[in-house]
Amino acid sequence: MIEFLLDGHSQVAPYMQLVQQVKQGLRTGLIEPGDQLPKVRSVAESLAINPNTVLKAYRHLEAEGLVEGRPGVGTFVRRTLAGPSLAGQAELRRELVGWLRRARTAGLEQEDVVALIQTTMRATFQDDEKREEIA
Amino acid sequence: MNLALEAHSLGKRYKRNWALRDCSLQVPAGRVAALVGPNGAGKSTLLNLAVGLLRPTEGTLHVLGRRPDGDRDLLDRVGFVAQDTPLYPDFTVSELITMGARLNRRWDTPLARDRMEQIGIPLDRRVEGLSGGQRAQVALTLALAKRPELLLLDEPVASLDPLARREFMQVLMGSVADGDTTVLLSSHLLGDLERVCDYLIVLQTAHVQLLGGVDELVNEHKALTGPRRQRADIAGVAAVIRESHTDKQTTLLVRTNGPILDPAWTVHDVTLEDLVLAYLAYPAPGRAVLGVAK
Amino acid sequence: MMWLAWRQHRKQALFAAVGLAALAALVIPTGISMRNAFTDSGLAACLRGLGTTEFLRGDGCDSLSDMFSGRYETLATLSMLFVFLPLLVGLFWGAPLVARELEHGTHRLVWTQGVSRMHWAGVKLGLVLAVTVVAAGGYALMVSWWLGPLNQAGQSRMAELSFDVQGIAPVAYTLFAVALGVFAGTVWRRVMPAMAAALVGFLALRLVVLVQLRGNFLPAHERTFPVIGQERPNPTLGDWTFSTGIKNAAGEVMSTGEQIQCGPAVAGRPDAICAPYGPGAYNFELYQPAGNYWPLQFIEAGLFTAVAAVLLFLAVRQIRSRIA
Repeated sequence: MIEFLLDGHSQVAPYMQLVQQVKQGLRTGLIEPGDQLPKVRSVAESLAINPNTVLKAYRHLEAEGLVEGRPGVGTFVRRTLAGPSLAGQAELRRELVGWLRRARTAGLEQEDVVALIQTTMRATFQDDEKREEIA
Repeated sequence: MNLALEAHSLGKRYKRNWALRDCSLQVPAGRVAALVGPNGAGKSTLLNLAVGLLRPTEGTLHVLGRRPDGDRDLLDRVGFVAQDTPLYPDFTVSELITMGARLNRRWDTPLARDRMEQIGIPLDRRVEGLSGGQRAQVALTLALAKRPELLLLDEPVASLDPLARREFMQVLMGSVADGDTTVLLSSHLLGDLERVCDYLIVLQTAHVQLLGGVDELVNEHKALTGPRRQRADIAGVAAVIRESHTDKQTTLLVRTNGPILDPAWTVHDVTLEDLVLAYLAYPAPGRAVLGVAK
Repeated sequence: MMWLAWRQHRKQALFAAVGLAALAALVIPTGISMRNAFTDSGLAACLRGLGTTEFLRGDGCDSLSDMFSGRYETLATLSMLFVFLPLLVGLFWGAPLVARELEHGTHRLVWTQGVSRMHWAGVKLGLVLAVTVVAAGGYALMVSWWLGPLNQAGQSRMAELSFDVQGIAPVAYTLFAVALGVFAGTVWRRVMPAMAAALVGFLALRLVVLVQLRGNFLPAHERTFPVIGQERPNPTLGDWTFSTGIKNAAGEVMSTGEQIQCGPAVAGRPDAICAPYGPGAYNFELYQPAGNYWPLQFIEAGLFTAVAAVLLFLAVRQIRSRIA
């Protein structure tokens, strides 16, 4: 069974940390479809966090279709991570390397690159969300 | 929405000082609410009022729908741990449990005994022989053994070492997971409460400064940075909580009521701690109640 | 709640029981030996012979009586110390009852359990008052029994300090002391100040009643007998004489605090001691007759019990509404 950790200093919200740890577990094969996730009560108790936070994480995973809750029994893993295929990722990776080289040639330092990526990422994803809402 | 606690213009005066003034707030049922503020802000006063140890000077207070004035039925349903966890020093832990059983109509002796065993506190130990952390655990267990609908904790971990603090919160969260208890706990240290609370009340100088669900509050507030300028109305900003200027840059902590689209401003998320500190640094009596959770 | 009240005050009840037992162990053997000496020395018979005659000629039972009293003088003086017992009970049982809870903050624990403050106060007060009455009744009974022969031998049981440790008055004093302690605790909310206040209040009222009021509860009687003559009042009547003096024939007070007796005039010249007072002068004494003992006991017990009741009412009112 997976055991959760919480980084109190991380910028990432606690429930999202739990979500990420489940996904990481799926990626590394630590948990597989059919495995049970720890009960909400025991996670809340061992990490000293609000049970609603755990519930929120499990509901998020359920909305993504990764787990399913069986009332009275527990929460179980439904399927593995249908992530982008390795081939697809390799393509993105190649494009990114090329872009990074161009950025360096243009004179950007690492911090500049990170700042640029972060602000653009936020703006783009927000835009996309809005477009999805309208659509 | 069920309210575990509701106050309207609640005020309490001691001789000439107002410990609490014009305090209006709600705590929805099922939440774990944090009552935060510096010492002397009125946190203990509010909790003591809620449990009937104090009587309001003005305004109204309803706990689980009833006035807490000497209401014995209400006392059966509300668990309370006072500041400094008062216990009878010459009683053994077992005798304290017996006391609870004799004085309360709803009482779960097996639960109390099991908990003590889990935490490793011997039942025949006298209270004066317990450490601070153990006393806090005993006091919490006594409150939990009532199987209360509402649990009020006044700075329960203030004088505990980090390990004792963690253990206390573990027991509390386990208990919250078990049932439908609403919890209201106060602290002057936000760090203790961040992981644990999903509702927030900020008190400063006897007034409520901030009130609402933690998620909503964190989503609604943003930090805006941009080139230095006079503050003007910005679309999407409902109120500016704090502003600071350097010679080149202006930083604003704002409450939003819509998306900030103005490209001149860079929008950052804020942590709960930043948020609370900003409200505490700039207290305003009669500040509007915000972000009431649905 | 009964369980809690008992658990909190069981030590006090134990002290009371041990105290009474110790007292009995002291009082009963000495009392029995005193009663034996009373009859064996012939004092009992002598006193029976005197009866209730108001005036005596000659020795009466004085020598036997002085011998008897002298033998038990130390013990009798020690018994006067019982006057402080009600105060001690009030300080150690009454003052901490509410004050200790408030001082240690445990009222925040016990008043938030499923009992109302009134129920809490009622049971605690009820228990402490019940034990008080039993304990006080116990020692009053024992001391009254013990002092019996001494009372008959001429130490009036209505005299100051003797009156205060016998009969039902001690029970009322103890109730008053406890009520005062409890009330002081609800006002000062800390044990030491409450004890101090109870100490002052107790001594004040007791002294005022003892010195100023007791003599005036019932009308005083006056007894007179001539300066010249051999008759004097019977000292074993048990009356409480609180004022003596000499008046002249016209009834004016010539001196106080003394009484004189002289032989008849010899050859027309009066005795040197009696001459200054003129012919027809007489001794007087103001007294409460022995028969007024129980009426006075009831009056004083009633007074202190009434004050105790008022104090308890005020204390309960403090608990209910003022401590908030």
